[in-house]
Formats: sequence, C-alpha cells, structure tokens
Amino acid sequence: MRHLVLFWALLKKEYIYLKRYSFNTISGIITIYLVFLLIFYGVKALGGANFGDTLEGIVVGFMVWTFAIFAYSDLSWAMIQEAQQGTLEQLYMSPLGFGWVAISRVAATFIFNGFIVVLLLLLMMFTTGKWLHLDFLSLTPLILLTVAGVYGIGFLMGGLALVFKQVQSAFQILQFVFVFLIAAPPDKLPFMKFLPLSMGTQLIGKVMIGGVPLTQLPLHDLLFLVGNSAFYFGLGFLAFKLFEGIARDRGLLGHY
Amino acid sequence: MKLVLEVKELTKVYKQRRGENVLAVDQISFSVWKNEVVGLLGPNGAGKTTTIKSIAVLIKPTGGEIWIDGVNALKDQKRSLERIAAVLEGNRNIYWRLTPKENLEFFVGLQGHSVRRTRGYIDELIELFKLKEKQNTPARKLSRGMQQKLAIACALVKQTEILLLDEPTLGLDVEISYELRRILKEMAQRGERTILLSSHDMNVVQDICERVIIINHGRIVTDDRVENLLKLFRASAYRFKIEGRLAQEQELALKRRFPLLEVEATDHRTYIDADLEGSNEIYEVIEILKGGQARIESIDHKEPNLEEIFLQIVKGDKR
Ligand SMILES: Nc1ncnc2c1ncn2[C@@H]1O[C@H](COP(=O)(O)OP(=O)(O)OP(=O)(O)O)[C@@H](O)[C@H]1O
Ligand SMILES: [Mg+2]
Repeated sequence: MRHLVLFWALLKKEYIYLKRYSFNTISGIITIYLVFLLIFYGVKALGGANFGDTLEGIVVGFMVWTFAIFAYSDLSWAMIQEAQQGTLEQLYMSPLGFGWVAISRVAATFIFNGFIVVLLLLLMMFTTGKWLHLDFLSLTPLILLTVAGVYGIGFLMGGLALVFKQVQSAFQILQFVFVFLIAAPPDKLPFMKFLPLSMGTQLIGKVMIGGVPLTQLPLHDLLFLVGNSAFYFGLGFLAFKLFEGIARDRGLLGHY
Repeated sequence: MKLVLEVKELTKVYKQRRGENVLAVDQISFSVWKNEVVGLLGPNGAGKTTTIKSIAVLIKPTGGEIWIDGVNALKDQKRSLERIAAVLEGNRNIYWRLTPKENLEFFVGLQGHSVRRTRGYIDELIELFKLKEKQNTPARKLSRGMQQKLAIACALVKQTEILLLDEPTLGLDVEISYELRRILKEMAQRGERTILLSSHDMNVVQDICERVIIINHGRIVTDDRVENLLKLFRASAYRFKIEGRLAQEQELALKRRFPLLEVEATDHRTYIDADLEGSNEIYEVIEILKGGQARIESIDHKEPNLEEIFLQIVKGDKR
C-alpha cells in the first residue's frame, strides 16, 4: 500500500512537470515530427514506390526510437538533475528504498511517454497515409520489453554520471547508436539480435506492419526478446548499484 | 530517558584517486536522547556534514556503528530511515519547479504516507513557516530564505522522530535566521522532535541547543550541556582593566606564564583577558603587573559567550 502511495506521488510530480512545461514537451514533439518528415520524404524521393515496406518500417522504427530516447534520456538526465538539486539524497532517504523510487519513476514516465508516442504516431500516420495496425494489446507488452533494455542502459549511464559527473557527451552519442540498433536489419546481421532494441523492433514491425497478433509471433523469438531485455535491464541495474556503492563511499550522492 | 541515536566510533576516510586520503571523521562517539536538541559545532572541514550524512546513510562510513532507536542503521537502512529526516546544505533538497504545497505533498508521498491524512499538518507547516502567500509559486521563484524554510518544512512533514539539520541558517539574512531559530526553539520546547543540527555559528547553537558537541579535525573536543560550558567558563574568565600601557617585559612575562592570555591595548587603556583558576592565579597576574607603571583599574568576571568558549577550545585543541 505504501509502495503504491509512493508511486502515486511520483506519477503526480511527473504530471505536474509535463503540464507546467508543456511548451517544452510540445516543441520536443514538433522537432521529432519534423525530423521524421525529413527522413520519410527523403527516402521516398530517393526510392520511389518500390520502397513501400521500408516506408512503413521507417514509421515503426521512428516510433521505437522516440520511445527509446524518451526512456533513456529521462532516466540519465534525471539522475544528474536530482544530484544537482540535492533532491537525489532525499530520494535515497525514502524508507521504501531507492530501488522502488527508481522503478516507480520509470513506470510513471513510461505511462506519460506512451501517450506522447501514440500521439506522435497518429500524427505520422496521418501525414504519410501509412495506416499501421494499432493492436495495443499486443504492442504494449512488446514495447515494454523492447524499451526495458534501454532502461538498463539508462541506469548504467545514470550510475556513471553519479561517479564521473561529466558524461553528457556520451549521452548524446548513445542516441545515435540507438538509430543504428533500430535500423540495422537483424536478418542480415545476425549478431544484432544480441544487442538491445533490434529484436524488439523487428517484432513490433511484424505486429504493426504485418498485422500479426502477439500470440502468433514465434515463441522462440518472444522468449529471446524476454531474455535479451532481462539481460540488459539486469546488467544496467547491477552496474548502477555498483556505481551507487562507489558514490556512497566517496560521498558523491549530493555533489555534481 | 530513551536513547534514540547512538554513534559509536564513527570513522570516515575519503579515499582520493590522487593525493592523500582525507580522515574526515576520526572515531566519533556520542548519544542523543529523546527530545534533545543537540548542536554539532565546528569550524569548516571539521567533519560535521560527514557525520550527519553518515547517520542518514548517504555516506558509507569506513568504520563504526550507528544505532537509531535500537536499529542498526548501516545494516537495516530502510527501518532506520523511517525514523530520520534530514536537510542538507540549506536551500537545496527541494524541487524548484514545484510549489511549496506540491513539494510538501511529494515528500509525504515519498515517505509512503497518505497525503489526505497529512493534509492538516501540511497546512499547519505552511502557516508556521509563513509560506501561505507563496504556497502556489514555484520554489525557484522564492527567496533563498523561503526556500530554506521550505526545505526544513519538507523534512518536518515526514513526521520522523529524528531531524538532522546541516547548517540550517547558513547564508540567511538576520531576520529569517531569527525566525527559523524561533520555530526550531519552540518545536524543541514542545518536545516534538529530537534534533541534531550542525553549524559553525555559535549563536545559533547557543540559542537553540541544550547540548553542544564541539568537533575539530574530525574528533570530539567537548560534549556538554550548553549551560555547563557557560558556567564552567564563567567561573574562570577574567578581564583586567589597566590604565596606561604594559611594559614589554610585563607582557612577555604574562604570556610566558599564561599562554592563552590576551592583551589588547587602546590609547589610554590596556585590557587583559585571561582564564584563571582560583585566586592564586589572579594574584600571580597582579604580582606581575605591579612591577611596572600600570595601574589596575578593575578586575571583572567576564560574561562568556559560546563563541569565545568555542574559539578557546578549538585553539587549545590545535596546540
Ligand atoms: N566527498 C568528499 N571527498 C573527499 N573529501 C571530502 C569529501 N567531503 C568532505 N571531504 C573532506 O572531509 C573533511 C570534512 O568535511 P565535512 O564536509 O564533513 O566538514 P564540515 O564540518 O561539514 O565543514 P563545513 O563547515 O565546511 O561544511 C574536509 O577536509 C573535507 O575537505
Ligand atoms: Mg558541512
């Protein structure tokens, strides 16, 4: 019960931020949307009609990328910001444990990001005329699984930021690495499916473009995705715990 | 009385990648009883913040134990955190984009407490800290003093047994500093909380605390009730008022005999401040003064304040 109370408090705070800084949110969406249009019509002009599948792939890939960027930057930037404000130490003093605080925050932002991404997706589909299958029942767990690996990376970077402080430039580089992970086809590059995002993006594509429901996706692919995400999430969280220990030892939780 | 906080041989060494290790806290031990208000007094770098953060398990100590209400804080962090709230370094610790009211509600939730059931207390705190007018203004637009008050209110709203305050009045203008002191003092007098506060401002400690622990170079120099310290020093602090100036050899003789003695000369007078034990030492001073031209106008008991006591103790510690 108390755990839910804490989750609710974090949800409420995120909501207030989103509302109070809606200008930032909206301008962010517009920027992403413009970049999307640039790429979409760029590819279309280059390849013409025989790129039909690719064009739909771009919509899916862009959606996953947006989700990944939101998930990842939210977590790692938040860590820096909270350390700067001195609120990170307060979060660490919650009797329900920082682990639960972090998970609640991730869950809260996932919900809000979900709404934003759906909005963006509708916008993208509307302007391009590429209407994809929006089977939310199948998509929600798939997206959650796909993005979980990214949250792992977010935790890793957050941990690095706690100890080494100046890691912003690495943050930005990673955003482009995500593009590669999403865009490179795992069929042609088999090792890709061992990296985060790749496998999940492929499965999401099958649901959205091919109209295949979750229950009819190959079981071994789904299990592979579960394993992959659990691995990256677990690894990231473990690394975070390690850096957190170092930060506690060096007295760095309140410094930035 | 109930023991609520026990610090046993707390030691913290900051290991540095370059250069020497820093021994910030060196085997500090002290206890705090329920409803006590204890001041942690010490100059910059004495180890106050390190001690407080160790109690709040934000820093991992190198050695020692911390017991909070019978709970081993280093082993059972969550349970000990139920009993602790802390404000570290003044006006940080709050969300600058949230209003005072939203901040208070958030910290209630962070503790896992129901906002609905705490509503009355939230309003009470807004009233007490005079935040009513600004309760719907984002915290970043408040003055530093207001932010600092809000940070303390956010710690209080968790309704924990123990309140840790690191330099609560640092950087505040006099008016707000007094207001804060008044609030803390009243809270202490009502016996609502157990407070451990650090400061290097002795006036703050003398004003609010019943007991003071003076630390320097990571070690405890004294741990006593404020009134005892004042009494102790009242008994031995003397001020000699002298017409004219001391001869050089007189001053040297005095300082040789009493190294901590201080001489201050104005145009027509000389003042000698000294800690003297018993009348024999007073006579010794008089004996030395008799040798020259100087005439003793008066010998007075000095009213000491904590600041002087602190300076003497810390000076003595350094030698
Ligand atoms: N994170 C850290 N890493 C390395 N050394 C540190 C760290 N924090 C504090 N120190 C050192 O430890 C010693 C004690 O510092 P601490 O901050 O506990 O003192 P303080 O009494 O709070 O001082 P102040 O009045 O300046 O706040 C100082 O020498 C300080 O330089
Ligand atoms: Mg300090």
